[in-house]
Amino acid sequence: MKLGIFYSDLRGNHDMLFRLKGEKIGVFLVGNGIYHATIKEKGEPSPILQKKEIDYYVLSEDLSTRGFSTDEVDSDIKVITYSDLTDLIMNDYDKLAWL
Amino acid sequence: MGTLTIGVFSSLIGSMNLDFAVKLAETAADKGHNVNLWLSGNATTAAKKGQKEYKDYSYLIKKISGLQKKGVQVAACEACSEARGIHAGEDIIEGITSIGMDWYVAKAAKSDRVLHIGVE
Amino acid sequence: MSNNILFVVQRPPYKSENPKLAITHAMSCYTADIHIDEPVEPTLAYVGDGVLNCIRDQRSQDIYGLISTEQHIKVQLSGDMKILVCKEDIERLGIKEERLVDGKDLGAEAGLNVVPFKEILKEMEICDHLMFF
Repeated sequence: MKLGIFYSDLRGNHDMLFRLKGEKIGVFLVGNGIYHATIKEKGEPSPILQKKEIDYYVLSEDLSTRGFSTDEVDSDIKVITYSDLTDLIMNDYDKLAWL
Repeated sequence: MGTLTIGVFSSLIGSMNLDFAVKLAETAADKGHNVNLWLSGNATTAAKKGQKEYKDYSYLIKKISGLQKKGVQVAACEACSEARGIHAGEDIIEGITSIGMDWYVAKAAKSDRVLHIGVE
Repeated sequence: MSNNILFVVQRPPYKSENPKLAITHAMSCYTADIHIDEPVEPTLAYVGDGVLNCIRDQRSQDIYGLISTEQHIKVQLSGDMKILVCKEDIERLGIKEERLVDGKDLGAEAGLNVVPFKEILKEMEICDHLMFF
């Protein structure tokens, strides 16, 4: 399963995120999920970014909406637009889950 | 090109998930995909006629009309709407179909991708 | 050809209507063929705090006049819908299996399937689409 997971909260369901497995996992940080890509709480990166085998993406429009720029995003996370997001979900992931 | 079905259960006001869903639907339609948009639970409030536009509140009527012009099928859960006093034929924005949940699961079943936003 | 949709409920009942909408949407699969001339097969899975939907003796009908989640689950069990409940999550929350809904009084032959999470992951693999509530 190539699973695209949408994550839209700052204080969300981390447990479920880590329990989901697949041949390919991508996490799309949208809405308030973008804070995981930008904030280092107590100096530490978000715990949701700890999985090396996951591809992380953050939605640029939701970064800008909340006052962040691409420069402030962790280098392991790819900044994408709605157009990129559409291509990714239609071409690279066969199932989608909004947690 | 593929078919994308998006289901949303979040409120028009009180969440921005609907704004996200509409923008994604618009982008996918612009890229030539077939798109279906299902409004259920509190998301049916987006289908209500007579909304007044304020800059502090999400207002999607014009965008939803734009989606329809791009060929996006937009439907609202009949039971969820009626339960909220949004009656088919009187209260629902023209072009939005008021229909049973079986429409959504049927569209989903026949889609290449389904993005189901089942949260508040 | 059958299309399978897995409905995954991960939140507790009643605060939001959405966990109950998972069941009503799953039920609606049985009439989806009026739109597409093909059957749509639902599977329902309760995971995380969503397993709290499956506790028996819910009295929302008496107290708030609302059909309980338990009533809906019982009816679907008697109609043979496949319903899975995550074993690790009921154990984590200290819920014994005997505290879970069954549909025996409505003639259901099988009860809820309490299964390890890896079985629910397998269902995610084999289904055509996922709907998380």
